[in-house]
Amino acid sequence: MAEWRQYYQNEDDEVEEDEEDSGGDYKISGRDSLVFLVDASKEMFIKSEDGETSNFDMTMQCVRSVYTSKIISSDKDLVALVFYGTEQSKNPRNSFKHVYVYHDLDSPGSQRVLDIDKLLGEKGAQFAEKTIGSGETSLGEALWCCSNLYSDIKLRLSHKRLMIFTCRDDPHGGDGAKDRQARTKAADLKETGVVIDLMHLTKPGGFDVSLFFCDIVSPPEDESELGLQIEPCRKLEDLQKRVRAKELKKRSQSRLTFSLGEGVNLAVGVYVLARTATKPSAVKLHRDTNEPVRTKTRYFHAHNGGILLPNDMKRAQVYGKKQIVMEKDEVDEIKKFDDPGLVLMGFKPMDRLKLHHHIRPALFIYPEEEQISGSSCVFTALLLKCSEKNVFALCRYIPRRNTPPRFVALVPQREELDQSQTQATPPGFNVIFLPFADDIRTLDAHVGPTASDEQVDKMKEIVDKMKEIVHKLRFKYKSDAFENPVLQQHYRNLEALALNMLEPEPIEDLTMPKVQMMDARLGPLAQEFKDLVYPPDYNPEGKPAAKRKTAESGGGAAEKKPKAEISEEELKNHVANGTLGKLTVPVLKDACKQFGIRTTGTKKQELIDALTMQLSK
Amino acid sequence: MIQLLSYRKSLRKMSQMQLFFSCVCFHLSLSVILCLQSALVLCMDVGFSMSNSEPGQEPPFEQAKKVIQKFVQRQVFAENKDEVGLVLFGTDGTKNRLAKDGQYENITVHRHLMMPDFELLEEIESELQPGGQQADWLDALVVCMDLLQQETMGKKFERLNIVLLTDLNVQTSADQLDVIINSLKKAGITLQFFLPFPLDGEDRADGGGDGPGPSAASARPGKGLSSQQTQGLEMVKNIMTSLEEEDGLEEVHTFRDALEKLSIFKRIDRRPMAWPCQLTIGSSLTIRIVGYKAVTEEKVKKSWTIVDAQSHQRDDVKRETVYCLNDDDETEVQKDDTIQGFRYGSDIVPFSKVDEDQMKYKSDGKCFSVLGFTKQELIRRHQFMGSQVVKVFAARDDEHAAVALSALIRALDSLKMAAIVRYAYDRRSNPQVGAAFPCIKEKYECLLYVQLPFMEDLRQFTFPMLENNKKFTPSESQLSAADALIDSMMLVEKDEDGESVDVFKVNHIPNPQFQRLFQCLHHRGVNPDDPLPPVEPWLKRALERPQAVSARCQAPLQDVKTKFPLKVVVKKKEQKTSADVFGSSADEPDAKRVKVDEEMEFNLAEIAAGNITSVGSVNPVRDFCALVRQKTVSFDQACQQLTHRIEQLLGNRSPEYYMKSIACIQAFRDQSVSSGNAELFNSYMQSLKRSVPDRNLQEFWDLLIQDALTLISKDEVDGSTISKQDANQFLAFEQKEEVQAAPVQEDTGDVDDLLDMM
Repeated sequence: MAEWRQYYQNEDDEVEEDEEDSGGDYKISGRDSLVFLVDASKEMFIKSEDGETSNFDMTMQCVRSVYTSKIISSDKDLVALVFYGTEQSKNPRNSFKHVYVYHDLDSPGSQRVLDIDKLLGEKGAQFAEKTIGSGETSLGEALWCCSNLYSDIKLRLSHKRLMIFTCRDDPHGGDGAKDRQARTKAADLKETGVVIDLMHLTKPGGFDVSLFFCDIVSPPEDESELGLQIEPCRKLEDLQKRVRAKELKKRSQSRLTFSLGEGVNLAVGVYVLARTATKPSAVKLHRDTNEPVRTKTRYFHAHNGGILLPNDMKRAQVYGKKQIVMEKDEVDEIKKFDDPGLVLMGFKPMDRLKLHHHIRPALFIYPEEEQISGSSCVFTALLLKCSEKNVFALCRYIPRRNTPPRFVALVPQREELDQSQTQATPPGFNVIFLPFADDIRTLDAHVGPTASDEQVDKMKEIVDKMKEIVHKLRFKYKSDAFENPVLQQHYRNLEALALNMLEPEPIEDLTMPKVQMMDARLGPLAQEFKDLVYPPDYNPEGKPAAKRKTAESGGGAAEKKPKAEISEEELKNHVANGTLGKLTVPVLKDACKQFGIRTTGTKKQELIDALTMQLSK
Repeated sequence: MIQLLSYRKSLRKMSQMQLFFSCVCFHLSLSVILCLQSALVLCMDVGFSMSNSEPGQEPPFEQAKKVIQKFVQRQVFAENKDEVGLVLFGTDGTKNRLAKDGQYENITVHRHLMMPDFELLEEIESELQPGGQQADWLDALVVCMDLLQQETMGKKFERLNIVLLTDLNVQTSADQLDVIINSLKKAGITLQFFLPFPLDGEDRADGGGDGPGPSAASARPGKGLSSQQTQGLEMVKNIMTSLEEEDGLEEVHTFRDALEKLSIFKRIDRRPMAWPCQLTIGSSLTIRIVGYKAVTEEKVKKSWTIVDAQSHQRDDVKRETVYCLNDDDETEVQKDDTIQGFRYGSDIVPFSKVDEDQMKYKSDGKCFSVLGFTKQELIRRHQFMGSQVVKVFAARDDEHAAVALSALIRALDSLKMAAIVRYAYDRRSNPQVGAAFPCIKEKYECLLYVQLPFMEDLRQFTFPMLENNKKFTPSESQLSAADALIDSMMLVEKDEDGESVDVFKVNHIPNPQFQRLFQCLHHRGVNPDDPLPPVEPWLKRALERPQAVSARCQAPLQDVKTKFPLKVVVKKKEQKTSADVFGSSADEPDAKRVKVDEEMEFNLAEIAAGNITSVGSVNPVRDFCALVRQKTVSFDQACQQLTHRIEQLLGNRSPEYYMKSIACIQAFRDQSVSSGNAELFNSYMQSLKRSVPDRNLQEFWDLLIQDALTLISKDEVDGSTISKQDANQFLAFEQKEEVQAAPVQEDTGDVDDLLDMM
């Protein structure tokens, strides 16, 4: 058990380390900001043909989901919600008519989610009617107001985005002056680095982007992306997908050189498309005021109490009873093999990439034309050829300075679009980390019973029965179908505390098997299978008491020796021979107790160190 | 080593490279199963004939010494619990239990059985010297047997082994041979021989048997063996075959062979632990299973401890963590006066540990429950999460479970499907959703479990398209160049039998990080005052493209080089300044915008705040400017106070504080220019720059670059010693500066120094 437990801790450690890793690489030179500019005209409130949701309602649901996901994934980002075409006006200096700033640019908190909830559904529409109302439209004023929101922010903003949600392709009804003003203001905004997107919604008769909005929105990132031609969003799902695709600024974790061989280098950006989301770490607060406190760590000399500066300390490890000392710089130098980058080793057929050679979540690379021009062309050629020949590229990867190398497989991935022409998989190479010899554990495989001829027939019957079971329980797996119940619960708890709710909203744990449904689908199959495989007296759920000693072959974990007090003499012998490590942790702990040694640690090495110190005196 | 070499037979057919590495992997397979320890005696001939060698050849003595050294080194760093003894023969003196009446002379028990440690390594390094005598290797063998028997009495060892390193060049009395063989058998002691030359004359002639390549050619080319050696060889063969029948001869090795293999440190060796559980499908179908972690990223077991630089004592360094408020004085707060909280968007919610534990998600214990089955192709390889692969077998000795699981594995395999399961290691651990793939091997079958992502883990980034993009579409000739490059760089080749062989197996390469670490530790341990050694050549080679591939791809690579224009883009200076980041860009023609004139604000603030006497942390820029203007304190003092605040702000290492620091530096610079005093600002900036690497402030420095906040040059202030050009280059980091900055001043830019300089 001990090792499994340890291994879990390990896993946590690794996560933290990863966090640190990529955190260090991230060039956070400011915060992202996103303004939702939502049309509040009467048209937005008209329910769609099927009578379910209005465009307004759909937009609010979408905004809500962005809010909640921001709270979880990037709580530092700033978000604002502004309505235009309203009856009421509300903005910082109340200088704009028919513009209603519902939420100023700020990081989203729990209260804001509740505010959005007020606008949802039938009641929401009524609430909206009452508070903001529908009135005249001047997109120009609205954009102007938004630009003020940006300029009022005293923080460094790295990425500024504005999304317009509307179902009206000609908002000013032909008023040329207003159109012109809107165009000017949009141009001003774009000049200050704001990217304007249009999230156009369905309109009877079709939404014609070219009427007006083509001059408002930012040109697409590359000419191939024909942003304006796409269909308006009909479904919430589409809208959410489209918003989500735009809402996150993609940031490379690092930019690296990819060397194909002497002198042939291209530049690539490394992206993290999947990483384990963890509970954010706790913040320490002052008990009296609830204000955050900082921690400072100091090193000082145990005897004279003087503060130790980095130069006054060295690093040490103990091996074979000897302490080996190095400078901090040397410890770093040991990890240095080469400069950061990807170096091509060669290519292998895809079938050489083993399913079980997995040690870390993958990364993704995409060419960086801005660093080395021509990179995209070579990259594309390699991508096409690798995928055509069904091979992957094997590379040596050093992510940053003073980091030891790893080998990675670059697996080609061509672009795929879904039905609504949104990118489902981006073009580029997935970077799969490969294990070294040390990372693979050798197991003594369990050899199953060898089947005799007669059993072969029976086995076939059993397998067929299992196939039926598998068939009954098949479903289409989607990677984003499961929410992390631990995280969800954590945030619900925080929400409840933040909003003084009596108890948190219950979560639906999607990781639990839907047992009843499964049983219903299986019907008698489960019993039939059991009748085939298990004898009547066999109980797979019970723990067979007699089989307890099987562990001996499984790795010896269960070999719990009776607690043996160990004599001082024996211990001293062990110390002298350096064989303390042979004793088990419980024995060592007992020994510590026996000699009244207080140890802070529970790790074996710490116990050994403590004992050695005591007994070699 | 024992196990290592016992696998030689199976390795014969492998390519050289594989042979080289696989020994490391094979080693483990035995030690996992036999988790008990072994005892082993290294028995080395140090007699005078061992020092003889052809000119230009390394004497056998030195070779044998290296073998022993490498072996012990591996044991030490693998923290192996095997016990090792060392017996030397041919020594000038005699020291052993059996020595009596002129018998067993010149044989020395140098070290009794114990775990190898650094002391032993040092002894081998310094005390192991060639002797001037010769001794009978059979006698030495008897001494070793005696040592093993005496010192393992009452202890349990899995294996007893004697390793003999000798050139056999001594007269031996063979009369007792049968007795010796019998007692070896009886005591269950195994033997290994290491000789300077290969066992078979044939191999000697054609250059080194299965030893790798021409480098391992016969140790003594052209020189025949002495009659003693020939006789000795016969005896060795005799002993080995009678001990282990035919395979016995596999345990006779050459020094050179052994060295090649031992130069790799043992890989980290961890025993897989069984995780018994039940696989459930619905409420009623249960299969007893056991899981093992099969692949996971192994970390170094030991971490670095911090010791005092002088005394090298760990206890001399005490670490203290204090909590302080974010106010001017950094008021310290007792740990007991803190509570924990979490960020919820913009809010910080106090949430005590107790409450958290009570309210957190609780799983109902370990499980491996099938949620459903899906097509394997729907599970993308690049979406594998977590850091491990678990192999799932049926519970041991439970044939019914074995049949049931086998049925599931085969059903999944033939349908090309996988199970999606909820996996929880135990009550305290977080549940995962993962996939269990069928895996059918010749010898066994199992499920491979890998974690899959949660919705929260995924980031949907959209990238511009590459194909069909006019700018990037490669031409036909470019495509064929890429095609040729790929063909020339295939790492999988066909051998004579037409079977494809992987020439670069990553999973056979030991993790270079560990190899390098142990190499450096060993070097430093033995030579405490030496600088660190370079990376060993074999390790470097192992990380490079295989030579054959390198050679093959030359021409296609040149072709790629000529066909694809690749040009490093000279970095344009980033346009962004903190002015537009702050949103106060002047180009916004907005009448309504209240542009606050900074000067104005200061003046107003000054009036409002009354007399400012020091630079506070709330608005250091304002305070500083006020101080300079009021002249209540000297310019030097004002600057000192300001830099003190800057240092405090930088201590936080967070972007918000960076912005404040930048504003401070901007003000510092402005005031310095207007008061015509460049000295203070420039020296502060130079020391700040030196401290950047140590304090990890690159990010901050990048902001300075963006704002072009560089040194004050002569052009601006007469007194400055900095030329315009120097000032312009000052901010550039990385390339040259790192080298240059160091020798200028030997301080590492620690905070106190920075302040003292003012």
